[in-house]
Amino acid sequence: MSQLSMNNTAARTILVCCGTGCQANGSMAVYQAFRRELADSPGTQVHTYTKSTGCNGWCEKGPLVKILPDEITYCRVKSEDVPEIIASLRYGTVMERLLYRDPVTKQVYRSHRDTNFYKKQRKVALRNIGEIDPANIQDYLDRDGYNALRKALTMPPAQVIEEVLQSGLRGRGGGGFPTGLKWKACAAVERTPRYVICNGDEGDPGAFMDRSIMEGDPHSVLEGMIICAHAIGASAGFIYVRDEYDLAVHHLSRAVEDARKHGFLGKNILGSDLSFDIEIVRGGGAFVCGEETALIASIEGNPGEPRDKYIFPTEKGLWGQPTVINNVETWANVPVIINRGAAEFASIGTTGSKGTKVFSLVGKVVNTGLVEVPMGTTLREIIYDIGEGIQKGRKFKAVQTGGPSGGCIPEDLLDLEVDFDSLTAAGSMMGSGGLIVMDDRTCMVEVARYYVNFLAGESCGKCVPCREGISLLLETLTRICEGKGRLEDLDLLESVSATLQQAALCALGRTAPNPVLSTLKYFRDEYLAHIVDHRCPAGICKELTEFYIDPELCTGCGRCRRKCPANAVAGEKKQAHVIDPSRCIKCGECINNCNFQAVKVK
Amino acid sequence: MRIKIDGIEIDVTSGETILEAARRAGIHIPTLCYHEAFGGQGICRMCIVEVKEGNRTRLVASCTYPVNGEIEVKTSTPEIERIRRNIVMLLYRRAPNSEFMKRLYEEYGRPADITPADPEESCIMCRLCVRACEKVGSHAISAVLRGTEKRISTPYDEPSPDCIGCCACAQVCPTGTIKVSTMPGKYEIWNKAFEMDRCESCGRPFVPPVILEHVRSKLGPEFTEEHLCPDCRKKKTGKIMADSHMSK
Repeated sequence: MSQLSMNNTAARTILVCCGTGCQANGSMAVYQAFRRELADSPGTQVHTYTKSTGCNGWCEKGPLVKILPDEITYCRVKSEDVPEIIASLRYGTVMERLLYRDPVTKQVYRSHRDTNFYKKQRKVALRNIGEIDPANIQDYLDRDGYNALRKALTMPPAQVIEEVLQSGLRGRGGGGFPTGLKWKACAAVERTPRYVICNGDEGDPGAFMDRSIMEGDPHSVLEGMIICAHAIGASAGFIYVRDEYDLAVHHLSRAVEDARKHGFLGKNILGSDLSFDIEIVRGGGAFVCGEETALIASIEGNPGEPRDKYIFPTEKGLWGQPTVINNVETWANVPVIINRGAAEFASIGTTGSKGTKVFSLVGKVVNTGLVEVPMGTTLREIIYDIGEGIQKGRKFKAVQTGGPSGGCIPEDLLDLEVDFDSLTAAGSMMGSGGLIVMDDRTCMVEVARYYVNFLAGESCGKCVPCREGISLLLETLTRICEGKGRLEDLDLLESVSATLQQAALCALGRTAPNPVLSTLKYFRDEYLAHIVDHRCPAGICKELTEFYIDPELCTGCGRCRRKCPANAVAGEKKQAHVIDPSRCIKCGECINNCNFQAVKVK
Repeated sequence: MRIKIDGIEIDVTSGETILEAARRAGIHIPTLCYHEAFGGQGICRMCIVEVKEGNRTRLVASCTYPVNGEIEVKTSTPEIERIRRNIVMLLYRRAPNSEFMKRLYEEYGRPADITPADPEESCIMCRLCVRACEKVGSHAISAVLRGTEKRISTPYDEPSPDCIGCCACAQVCPTGTIKVSTMPGKYEIWNKAFEMDRCESCGRPFVPPVILEHVRSKLGPEFTEEHLCPDCRKKKTGKIMADSHMSK
């Protein structure tokens, strides 16, 4: 243990990350242990406050415990470690074994801020998350909270809109529509009442950006919405949260209550003319309700089906009234723009996309988690610097961006500077910010099939191209994965995809073929391997896979033999092993577990 | 304001849809889910047209696109025809079991050789039945479930307590999917049987009492309490007219 430079009698704050990932790894038990241990030893020399915070983003290393003001970050903390941590606080020492150690350089990091994972990030939307107790409004107020609202209320509404317009903020839900233009259009419609909606129906598999914001910093969302209410003259707001996000609903409800008590919501907010309140609506968990017209229908109590958007919600939205609807992350950015000015916000990012973007970095990457980077950061920086590359030293194959209706981007586009326009140009999309990293054990045809299958269940089923087109795409992709594909199937996939893009009713349908088209564009050889050579190069599609062991590379360690559930691997210790194809069930345990890359796909 | 559809200038009122304007001018745009009594639904996408507004050209559903400015419309381009052929192909794949779809599939030159998913299926999910039930009947049926599983049914597939047996759904159905089975003195629709009241003149069963109640509630005092079947009503009206002529 090394000595702390701080006076060890100073007051300390212990922040236990209780984001979704850390909770799944037992952080609540760690938090409870701190509370218990500290209560049990009242004679402790250190004044210590324990707080549970929202997601710090470094989910791979969680549960995280941060100690302030010492700036110590402990990784993968277990409740058993807690007495030792408390003792170390008393003695003014640091527990080196819990600090992050870089696996390559072996360097030990005292604070998470100095690690590669955090160094390239820039926290704007996530500025408070992990630093505050989301259930405590005072924590938010201590970090400049609601000052943007105070400032906005002194500005004429048109000036607030102008500020948002100048900032270049674009909708973070996927569409990328300029937020200021949306507000301006809504304010220009004469009819009242006007409404403000927060879209918290994040439904992409593997995405948790909005969830983390709603759970970890709910007041930032409320503040953004109230500022908008002032700007457009709205009287009521709704936060639509998918039902599965229980903690988000809990923290948002608490935040709304506290905001009312402090006069940030309700009649004559902070003594101004603005009267505005917010209601939380729990959605049923339908992916399509992330589409704004479907979301509006759902709030109205109708089935969550989109309508043609030839008239925008800014003119005819909730109950036919002018409505501004923005995504969670968009709202969280608004107070920063008002506080620090449009120019500062616009100084971050690329020409067409300003500010930062939050991504949930998941899949076969070493550091899975939640990251926020300036627009224009390359995929390579996100995956290799922040994410520290591919798990188990495997080879990168593709990164899927934009959720189920996004696309797969291959290795030669890794230096793409990520923003709304570059991703769209690459045949994918920003979406709400999911980044799923795939390694060489990923079959791109199967990936396309997986996403199309997801959309088959999540399409609302209203318009013909989407409902029937997806059904035909799924049937065709399944056929190819099963080894019954024909070359004409590729034309069929392209033709049906084009009809979906051109004729489907909403954005879900129009973007649904992206997983198919992007894999056809960048990984056509894999489709051909399935159809012409009857083999799945990644060894995923069972009907088209045969594993064998390269005797030159096999060390005879026996790992694959022990892992094989079908007893299909035989071999003596330190002798090359052999797979019996007649017994093999193609589960891939051998190839996934071989440390010498000796298991190959025929 | 004036718009151009296929080169023909047409006067339209603001908010009128392209489809309505085109029909008025006698320009044909194919539709499957449109009925003039219910307005556009934007479901089948057969009515996709190309709209040029300023420098921007895009494809829109003509049944839901409200005209709000000077636009030029093309109702048919190679791109649009490709979309329509694919829609017909997709619907035929879904629901091959009706003369309506068979005819349409032939009409569009048998686009793509595909295997129908279910050879017995005939519903194309145009939802005209749902709209008819909303307007004429009693909101007894709706589109249920989600995604590729979506279909038309009563709540929980049970006989609906709201169904009044008006059969407007079966009337409007283009593919004859909704069946009404008739038996002596009664008929069945959506798994619900309706016993019919008898005509007070000829004694033939002609209408279930629940429909009379429904009509009474819609018409109010205009409703006459006579229990006459359409034939006897016609005879009676004819007699009244004849009598009034005779007495002159």
